[in-house]
Amino acid sequence: MKRWIGIVQMVFFLSLIGAPWVGAAGPDTLVVGVSSDIHTLDSGVSSDNYDWRQIYPCYDRLVKYKVINGKGSTEVEPQAAESWSVSDDGTVWTFKIRKGMAFDDGTALDATAVKFSFERTLKIGKGPADNIGAIKAMRIVDPYTLEVTLKNAYGPFLQTLATDGANIVNPNIMKHEKGGDLAQAWLAEHTDGSGPFKLVEWTRGQRAVLEAKSNYWGGAPKVKKVVVRFMAESADRRMALERGDIDIAENILIDQIPALEKNPDVAVQRYPSQLVEYVYINNQKSPLDNPKVRQALCYAVDYQGIIDYVLQGNGVQMRGPVPKGMWGHKSDLFQHTLDAAKAKSLLKEAGFGSGLNLTLIYSERRSSWEQIATILQSNFAQIGVTLKLQLMANPTLRDRVDKGDFELCLGAWSPDFADPFMFMNFWFDSKLWGLPGNRSFYKNDEVDALIRKAASIADQGQRTQLYQKAQEIIMDDAPYIFLYQVQTVVPMRKNVHGYVYNPMLESMYNFESISKE
Amino acid sequence: MKPKTNLHPKWRELKLTGRLLRSNPTAMAGLIILVAMGLMALCAGWLAPYDPIKLSLGERLQPPGAVHWFGTDEMGRDILSRVMFGARISLRIGFVVICIAGGLGSVIGAVAGYYGGRVDNIIMRVMDVILSFPSLVLAMALAAAMGPSLNNAIMAVAFVMIPKFARLVRGEALSVKEMPFIAAARVSGARNRWIIAHHILPNCLNSVIVLGTLTLGDTILIAASLSFIGLGAQPPTPEWGAMISVGRKFLLDQWWYATFPGLFILTTVIGFNILGDALRDILDPRIRR
Amino acid sequence: MRILQYILRRLFYMIPVLFGVTILVFVISHAIPGDPAKMIAGPKASRQAIENIRKSHGLDQPLPIQYIRFVTGLVKGDLGVSIRNHRPVTHDLKDFLPATLELTLASIVICLGVGIPLGIISAVHRNRLPDHFTRVFSVFGVSMPVFWLGLMLLLLLFYRNLGWLPGSGRLDIDFSPPVHVTGLYLIDSLLDGQFDTFFNAAAHILLPAFCLSYVYLAIVTRIVRSSMIEVLGQDFIITARANGIAETAIVLKHAFKNSLIPTVTITGLSFGELLGGAILTETIFGWPGMGKYVVDSVNYLDFPAIMGFTLIVALVYVSINLLVDVLYAFLNPRIQY
Repeated sequence: MKRWIGIVQMVFFLSLIGAPWVGAAGPDTLVVGVSSDIHTLDSGVSSDNYDWRQIYPCYDRLVKYKVINGKGSTEVEPQAAESWSVSDDGTVWTFKIRKGMAFDDGTALDATAVKFSFERTLKIGKGPADNIGAIKAMRIVDPYTLEVTLKNAYGPFLQTLATDGANIVNPNIMKHEKGGDLAQAWLAEHTDGSGPFKLVEWTRGQRAVLEAKSNYWGGAPKVKKVVVRFMAESADRRMALERGDIDIAENILIDQIPALEKNPDVAVQRYPSQLVEYVYINNQKSPLDNPKVRQALCYAVDYQGIIDYVLQGNGVQMRGPVPKGMWGHKSDLFQHTLDAAKAKSLLKEAGFGSGLNLTLIYSERRSSWEQIATILQSNFAQIGVTLKLQLMANPTLRDRVDKGDFELCLGAWSPDFADPFMFMNFWFDSKLWGLPGNRSFYKNDEVDALIRKAASIADQGQRTQLYQKAQEIIMDDAPYIFLYQVQTVVPMRKNVHGYVYNPMLESMYNFESISKE
Repeated sequence: MKPKTNLHPKWRELKLTGRLLRSNPTAMAGLIILVAMGLMALCAGWLAPYDPIKLSLGERLQPPGAVHWFGTDEMGRDILSRVMFGARISLRIGFVVICIAGGLGSVIGAVAGYYGGRVDNIIMRVMDVILSFPSLVLAMALAAAMGPSLNNAIMAVAFVMIPKFARLVRGEALSVKEMPFIAAARVSGARNRWIIAHHILPNCLNSVIVLGTLTLGDTILIAASLSFIGLGAQPPTPEWGAMISVGRKFLLDQWWYATFPGLFILTTVIGFNILGDALRDILDPRIRR
Repeated sequence: MRILQYILRRLFYMIPVLFGVTILVFVISHAIPGDPAKMIAGPKASRQAIENIRKSHGLDQPLPIQYIRFVTGLVKGDLGVSIRNHRPVTHDLKDFLPATLELTLASIVICLGVGIPLGIISAVHRNRLPDHFTRVFSVFGVSMPVFWLGLMLLLLLFYRNLGWLPGSGRLDIDFSPPVHVTGLYLIDSLLDGQFDTFFNAAAHILLPAFCLSYVYLAIVTRIVRSSMIEVLGQDFIITARANGIAETAIVLKHAFKNSLIPTVTITGLSFGELLGGAILTETIFGWPGMGKYVVDSVNYLDFPAIMGFTLIVALVYVSINLLVDVLYAFLNPRIQY
């Protein structure tokens, strides 16, 4: 029995010790609480923003996004490339590489390194290769000049060079190559770039630690260390932020934001993002191959209700496929709004006046989906459409989408680079049916011609015209239900300064310019 | 428990069981809990103050009060009504699983025990394979493989439970088959199948009922766990585990959401466990958990 | 010698069972509809990228060939390469398994450390207040939805409202993990002499371990209680009492010793189930162990990872069962094999 008392005493002793712990790292360390662990650090492999969050600050790219008046923009400016020029037909680009940049082992960042990095990514051929897939050949003109030839003129080319897939990697990583894997095994767990940070610790499932390089060519970062702490639960991140254990909390559930805003030590910032949520309508499946049925569905949705309740107002309804803030967006484009009477009469015209049964599939990838699905179910019931909801595991969902084995499906999309190409060409090109982008299996020859032409020229004014013309046709065909554009909500401690949000860098941070008081 | 009229001793035993149960206060408490839950499930349509599925977004996340005793959820649905309808689902899961697992498990066990030899060896090795996994892990894997839905979850849990019954009945069958009346039946020309159905299985009934009651609680817990990780009931079904799963997101500010469904799971399972314990003491002192 | 034979026979029986386990594991994980390549190729992957990924992981091979590869790999101790983490599953296990083991072991310690005394007290004071309390406590234990208990009592009460204990994870944010020796922070930190890390880790493990242990704690309490009651009524105890041996000595030395056998059995069985229960507990407490690892793997349909996890759990489970039976044979020489 004594032993028992002893154990109880020990338990209480331990719990008392626990009491005074309030983490609060010093001003030299920035702590970010995030929802998901990372999977790989290899920018030639990863297609995941959560990986990029750690990878991106460890590397430089040829170009970077401009910051204008403290706000992130979608225009690019020189980074590792000092300047560039392009041939008249838009296929040959010549980059002058900045001198004096070096990797950690002293190797200079030059044209060879850039060529090596791009070739490696292309050779691996996984997700990131798609972004720089326009490259046909590269030639080293002199140690600091690189000539890149494209397969054909490609409007968004410069933009793609700011993506994580275009990171410049130290060619010396090849000494870690095993069995012809292009050092993938090694780079999955290490970083070797010329960027302002390097990864010094990654305890899986727990945290990753980035260390600032005081000799970074662009100036030493303001903090010495960044700790990325993996905390799966939103509630957990929120409490840690309120207690001051972490400085920035990512992906806080929208319903917990009002409570956070009441905390005097926390600043909640909202930024218009380019993350959109929408419903894929399978255009090839009867009765959804009838545009009238699709239009009816578009008219049946209570867009504002979804934004008010699911997003708690943190979003705006989309107007066509290209989100606000991206060039090519047409602010006077026709867009469906809630009109149940019109929806009903359209259904009747299509021959479904007596009702219709449809199934919506969705996964738990986004916490909002279950609520949206339930609301859509009740919206559709108003026009006589019985909607069956089917929640499924994400891999199953993606497989079904890829095969076109669905009627309606909830989806989310965010652009990798700042070009309407990310929306128009991915969503509507009939060559990209299924997972690659055209998830409604939409096919319209006129649209195909317009968007393909727009992708192959460089002039922004001309491209805007083409894209906007395509949008008008598309809105008439109603291939998707465009729901809303999300506002990214970033809560952080009040003493954190210098954070710049960029809609192209969702879940990524400009750690090099953030400071803590 | 449907005794056949020609089994007089069974009737007498049942009466005795009933008397013993009545004299056991804990067992009665368990029974009362279960009857209450059962009534609530059956009459949810009348008792529930609101529609458990219909949205009323204007009333989302209301705290418990005079209008909504248990508050409302993120779609403005009344949690009390949802919990009441949830009783239907959980009890149904429990009974269906036990019927499938108990039925199949008993037959498998009886066959293995009665025939013995190679049949027994093969069947029990297969059971060993199933028993090589913690039940929750296997149920999760199966439910994931079949795709998340309530029926698949039921199948998965039932599959995992089969060996428990098979082992029990096999043990009983081994001893029953040595009894003189089996030999007598065999001599009088009864076929093996007939002997299993008319002698072996009825003689194992008591133990199966005890194990079934005791396992019902576990079954409900496992099924709720599956729903909690999204592998069970699909929205908008008001399943308790699924409700806790969503309610967890609102735990910090809306404590009532996850609290009430959990209390109902706890109460129901307590009901089955104390009733099962009492039944075991009365019917079959040999089974031990 | 008989025992050695018995062990050998049991080991021999394990071979077909483990073979069956590999089939079951393979079939189940590949029955999950979906394609992992379509998951990790990223949200906008092209056909070509998906195809390249399928090829590099051998997913383009027919299923029987994939199974044969899997089994031949197993024989060599190779569990394949995780599709999601791009590295051998064995490396992943090395990183994630210790956390789960630590949690499970801590739970066992709580089970025994609290369960045995409670059971003894309950048996000694049979049908009196401590007994009633213990029985209610254990009925609640076996009926408790673990995930709900974790959420309610612990998160709400201790962490949020009282703030007695630290939050999720194995260590506070500003602690570095101790040097990897066993992977169990409680042990590694002591080996390294980092006492503040030790206390931090202990405070972090307390809530999840208690939550995980509660069900089995209740079972252990019940078993100890009932077998103690049985033993306390036996002749040799009465004789001992008549001989004037102190009551505490009777209870602890004589009676308790005899209730060890069922306790060992139940502890062994619990260990496997605790591993399974860890999945839920880890999800709730953000504990970076196998439970969370496998849930994430399922989300990505990472076949090698899923299969690796289930195999390891099955292996541990089967081995522990064997160990229990052997221990049982040692403790109880009356049993014949």
